[in-house]
Amino acid sequence: MKALLRNPACLIGILLVVLHLVVAIGAPWVAPYAPTSLLDAPLEPPSATYWLGTDDLGRDAFSRLLWGGRVAMLVAFAAGIIAVVGGAVLGLSAAFMRGAFDDCMLCLVEMKLAVPTILFVAIFVTGFGQSIPILILAIGIIQMMGVIRTTRAAGIVLMEQGYVRAAQLNGESGPKIILRELLPNVADLMAVEFALRASSALLLVSALSFLGLGISPPTPDWGLMVEDAMALLDSEPHLVLAPALAISTLVLGINLAAEGLAEALGLDAARGGASG
Amino acid sequence: MRPVGAPVVEPLLSVRGLNISWFSQQGRRNHVVNEVSFDLAAGETLGIAGESGSGKSTLARALLGHARGGSRIESGSILLSGRDLVSLAPKALAVLRGRDVAMVPQNPLSSLTFHLRVGAQVEEVLRHRAGLSPKAASLRSLELLTEMGLSEPEKIAQRYPHQLSGGQRQRVVLACALACDPALLVLDEPTTALDKTTEAQVLELIQRLRRARRGAMVLVTHDLNVIAEICDRVMVMQHGKVVEEGPVQQVFGAPTQPYTRLLLGSALRVDGASEAQPGRHGSTLLEGAGLGFSYARPSLLLRRASTTTPTLTDINFSLGRGEVLGVIGESGSGKTTLGGLVTGFLAPERGVLHFDGAALAGRAAARSIEHRRRIQMVFQDPLSSLNPRRRVGDQVARPMRLFHGLDKRKAEARTVQLFDELGLHADLLTRFPRQLSGGQQQRVAIARAFAAEPDLLVCDEITSALDASVQAQLLDQLAAMQRRAGTALLLITHDLTVIWRMASRVIVMRSGRILEQGETNAVFRTPSNPYTAALLDAATRATRVAEPAFAGV
Amino acid sequence: MISLILRRGALSLATLFLLASFIFFATEVLPGDALDVSLSADEVAMMPPEVLARRKAELGLDRPILERYLGFLGGLRKFDLGRTIITRAPVADIVAMPLRNSMALAAVTLLLALPVALGIAMAAAQAKGRGLDNAVSGAAIIGYSIPEFVTGLLLIAVFAVWWPIFPATITASTNDPLSVLLAAAPLAVFTTIIGSIAYLGRILRVGMIEVMASDFVERLHLSGIPRWRILLVHALPAAVIPGLSAAALYAASLVSGIVVVEMVFAYPGIGAELVRAVTRREVHVVQAIALAAAICVVSFNLLADLGISALDPRTRSA
Repeated sequence: MKALLRNPACLIGILLVVLHLVVAIGAPWVAPYAPTSLLDAPLEPPSATYWLGTDDLGRDAFSRLLWGGRVAMLVAFAAGIIAVVGGAVLGLSAAFMRGAFDDCMLCLVEMKLAVPTILFVAIFVTGFGQSIPILILAIGIIQMMGVIRTTRAAGIVLMEQGYVRAAQLNGESGPKIILRELLPNVADLMAVEFALRASSALLLVSALSFLGLGISPPTPDWGLMVEDAMALLDSEPHLVLAPALAISTLVLGINLAAEGLAEALGLDAARGGASG
Repeated sequence: MRPVGAPVVEPLLSVRGLNISWFSQQGRRNHVVNEVSFDLAAGETLGIAGESGSGKSTLARALLGHARGGSRIESGSILLSGRDLVSLAPKALAVLRGRDVAMVPQNPLSSLTFHLRVGAQVEEVLRHRAGLSPKAASLRSLELLTEMGLSEPEKIAQRYPHQLSGGQRQRVVLACALACDPALLVLDEPTTALDKTTEAQVLELIQRLRRARRGAMVLVTHDLNVIAEICDRVMVMQHGKVVEEGPVQQVFGAPTQPYTRLLLGSALRVDGASEAQPGRHGSTLLEGAGLGFSYARPSLLLRRASTTTPTLTDINFSLGRGEVLGVIGESGSGKTTLGGLVTGFLAPERGVLHFDGAALAGRAAARSIEHRRRIQMVFQDPLSSLNPRRRVGDQVARPMRLFHGLDKRKAEARTVQLFDELGLHADLLTRFPRQLSGGQQQRVAIARAFAAEPDLLVCDEITSALDASVQAQLLDQLAAMQRRAGTALLLITHDLTVIWRMASRVIVMRSGRILEQGETNAVFRTPSNPYTAALLDAATRATRVAEPAFAGV
Repeated sequence: MISLILRRGALSLATLFLLASFIFFATEVLPGDALDVSLSADEVAMMPPEVLARRKAELGLDRPILERYLGFLGGLRKFDLGRTIITRAPVADIVAMPLRNSMALAAVTLLLALPVALGIAMAAAQAKGRGLDNAVSGAAIIGYSIPEFVTGLLLIAVFAVWWPIFPATITASTNDPLSVLLAAAPLAVFTTIIGSIAYLGRILRVGMIEVMASDFVERLHLSGIPRWRILLVHALPAAVIPGLSAAALYAASLVSGIVVVEMVFAYPGIGAELVRAVTRREVHVVQAIALAAAICVVSFNLLADLGISALDPRTRSA
């Protein structure tokens, strides 16, 4: 734990994440205006009344900035949980049982890898509609595959350990072994994976919103804000840069913290691969 | 053998006050090599003996001017033919390496580039270090391979490292090292990764090279028997310091330091009677008849290669109640597989096991709870025997609660009792495995095994990962517990000394078959099988070297 | 060797089949079909039920799902990708040019990014733990933390708005010859290259570091073999192997993964088509694009596997 805080990059990362969390949670109280209310002043430049000016529909950009991360972070967090919990259970089970179930899991992971992420969500959205729960599910499933891969690999190594063998020879049941012997020993890995998956999920949500396939208006979201203001890049660059910076700093913060955590725990973050 | 001692010329290698430290990420400093000084004359062979952590490998690399990542040569000098390696710039060092000093590392498989043919690798050294033209290098490389005892060198040269046997690979590595006929040859555990038969052949080759070359050799190893075979002088190291140094016969015959005596004490000496209790103690507990097993695992769907691991063929043996039976074999002999069959990790493909009269089901999952309780196991690696995330006391208590239904308090009391018998303090109950030493961890593993109150304990290489100082103590405590509880032991190991100390009867295995079995006394004194005889010969060199009749050439 | 290729080829085909099926079911399983989405509520209210029913029958939307599945597979065999729902145009025509454009962009990106990534990885591995390596790692983390659309927009802001060197958006159109198209899209290429270098560099660096710490590199070092030779002849092939699969996957996913970049720069690629199709629920177009992507990935994977076999003799012999 202390090693974590000693690493300057990691510290910066943690601070960034905390900052974003505070802003997101506190937005309803801190934002000067409601994010969706149409004030009668479109495209005002930044001033004392509107700290970041207003967008083309006359909404206060600063308030939207404060509110913009909430849904995206929720999606990322939920998807991350689904990915890590589901992935660990499936990955460890595959390592424990081997045989047909294991082959299935590998096949599944391979197949997912064959479908590029945005495309996968696009397929989902086409088939199931575009809503927050669907987004969470789709992104969660995508991220889960990566977690399955890493926990399975870790699980296979663990299965060779003496204490796992001893438990098997003593006749302990499968679920018991997975829970008592395997799971606690991948807890480190899972923590790092959660951070990495959450940051991947965040990037994904932002990109999807930007494309119009993710979070739908009028919900304030950074990706949507960038897309809205894209055409105004030359005249009103702050409308684009503010949300862009917000996304980048949050993702950067998570990634820095994750790398620091991985180093402190002696794991290799690059192994898991942030490839969605 | 070259005459030991003083040619009047300058020593080829002169090390003075060498200090090497290793720095951890947190900045902590480990003194790995501590004030080491010694001389080496041309034509001499020095053995550096020590266990893991003694600093010998670091010292070996320092003789090439190399400090592994994270470590640094802090002070001292290494004079090779007059030049101080410590003060040389990397460029100058690179000129020396390969030409004036060369190294043969431990693992030939990982030391050769896997994606290049071995012939090309030998040629590379000749072209870049000896300056030969491609054609000349090609011819010379074939000559070198022949000199290293490889027949059909043209064929070998076209192969990749993984296509050669361990012995062949080591010869290739030797060829690379000797390509430029360096004045100093450093060998780091050159035969540790090889089986005993191949080891003997490679040692023979090294002997030949010793005689043929004018240069000097440094042989680093933990195996005293290898030093006894090859070296003129020996230097014993512990925790980075030189403990004792001198001619091999003198140091091994009459050691003056306690640590040296300890090391030699764990070497095999077949004299007097085996310390193990003779005779059987009662009815047959375990019986194996016609056991056979193979590991073939074809996998058509996925990219895994099929592995063929040693098969077991026609294994017949029996073990009496309270008896200690040793199983001797090298890696690949099938001894671990046999242990797997007995504990139920694997199911025999042929034959049957009987336990206390009743047939024993193959896999542990199919066995009755009673059978699972009565056969327990201790593994080689103490660190992997215990769950790093759970307290040590809980892990020992688990079998008690599982098999005997003891409640928490009773289990704890019994755990304390077991710990006491094994020389472990009751404080350790609440610790985590990483807070214990290797020896303590292994004893906890033994306690856990005994917690189930088994009739048979299978021990697979339980001392191999431990220091010499701890091994003897552990074995003694195990023997005491075994006698007290009347538990039978199946001791699987490659270490003949362990057998001699503990087992009254022994089985010798090779390539999945039993070569011979019988009373330890009888087998060790008068082995009926040439393989057993070779094993014994190799294992007793260190203790025989001081004998006048020793023909260690 | 032949048997290896055949085996992997058969496996790839099987995977493709599974993927195609997955794509079909994922897009068509939900009740409430594309027609409902593409027609507004007013139109539906105004259209007499028989006309509606006939439109549905024309598009085959009223048949049971299994029948549609078999029809889908049958169409695939004949390379018939169906027709769009709204305009009844052949999907193949719609998808062909954009696909070409995206593949061209991906190819150019890779050709330029790979050598640079390799170079950076080697340099960083050499200087491990010291200044250059830390700088590279830092740059890489920042590189893959920033969403690609942000990178693209930043580049536009810097190079098209403040210093008008390059055009902000593509002025060429979908069917223009590739040379014209790519010449009109320097910033788009640049954006994807940055992302690629960050990703590939990271993977290759890890592989390189591992190899530089291996036993055979140590032995070579101790034999006095020159450093450059160790790097290029011995270490590089070994380091590339673990990264090859990941790199191939990345390359394949580039084709559809650059959706975002295409949208930022209005590049007429397949990503843009995809977004359009999804919003209009043009099921067949989405399926076609998904299939194209799947084929890319499977074939790249196959190439990567063959590449590994070629590089690593251990995978070849029994």
